[in-house]
Amino acid sequence: MKFTLVIFSAPHSAEGAASALRFARALLASGHNLYRVFFYGDGVHNASALEAPPQDESHIVAGWQALQQQHQLDLVVCIAAAQRRGLLSASEAERLGKPAANLAAGFELAGLGQLVDAVVYSDRLVTFGD
Amino acid sequence: MTLHIVSKSPGYSNALMDCADSFVEGDILLLIEDGVYALSSLPENIPVQAVHYLKADVNARGIVVTMEYQGIDDTRWVELCCQQNPVVSWFK
Amino acid sequence: MSKSILALCRRPPYGDALAREGLEAVLAAAAMEQAPVLLFMHDGVFQLLKDQNAKSIEQKSVRRNLEALSIFGIDKLYVCQHSLEKRNLNCGQLRLPGIAIELIADPGRFIAAFDSVLSF
Repeated sequence: MKFTLVIFSAPHSAEGAASALRFARALLASGHNLYRVFFYGDGVHNASALEAPPQDESHIVAGWQALQQQHQLDLVVCIAAAQRRGLLSASEAERLGKPAANLAAGFELAGLGQLVDAVVYSDRLVTFGD
Repeated sequence: MTLHIVSKSPGYSNALMDCADSFVEGDILLLIEDGVYALSSLPENIPVQAVHYLKADVNARGIVVTMEYQGIDDTRWVELCCQQNPVVSWFK
Repeated sequence: MSKSILALCRRPPYGDALAREGLEAVLAAAAMEQAPVLLFMHDGVFQLLKDQNAKSIEQKSVRRNLEALSIFGIDKLYVCQHSLEKRNLNCGQLRLPGIAIELIADPGRFIAAFDSVLSF
């Protein structure tokens, strides 16, 4: 089955981000297809390249990146929600005149159309709250 | 039928009560994250056999489950999502 | 390809960013001709109160997003009757120009009829 996950939870603030990562691993291990992961609201922080948790804590950003590499996942961060919260790609940082970019590798910024497309083309939509 | 996923404790949010108001026969309830704290005080209109919880979240919190609810792992969680539709998350 | 999509709006309009961001997603879907049905529950019903003046807290009005729904052909909103009653509100306090409001007494059966549910 084709799944899309929508994530509202920032890592290290609520358990939702960690649950979503576990769920993604489980569904891929069961042979299902993960059409897209859409990060919205505070969920955009899952794509921060500047996250530096202590070594004995789980590293959720790295977890998504590893899964992305392994399964060529489509990890999409809502561009409007990201800009509000200071999560920028190099080109966005330049366009907006900001001093730094922090979008982690493996993630891409895109509009809400990507969420709509995912809802339409997936068999299942699962939301992970904040 | 709907799979309801509740992720907050009833003391923190109204998620479980809103879910209970929207629960119909044939639906399934899955408690995850802090939602598992509801296992000791579930609304009466949700039948025992419809209640599932993530074992990992219960074990992490040291909760003792005394009723015949179904403890499941992440793989079974995925199966429930395939079996039911829509999947509705109740948080906050 | 068309799917029935429900947007479940449970957040109050200003204290929680997801109220506004949820409506933005709804408008994006409507602009792509995938207009979701909106059901307001719990504190989400407060989004619909008339006479909001968000300027007093230096925020943009959420009602402007709601009023834009009719531009995209959404002319009806659904409101959980129980949530409304619990807050001592009535339909007259929720008016939106050009948009009808229908009360839902049994949200469970209503929700179960959709292919996908977005929770905001």
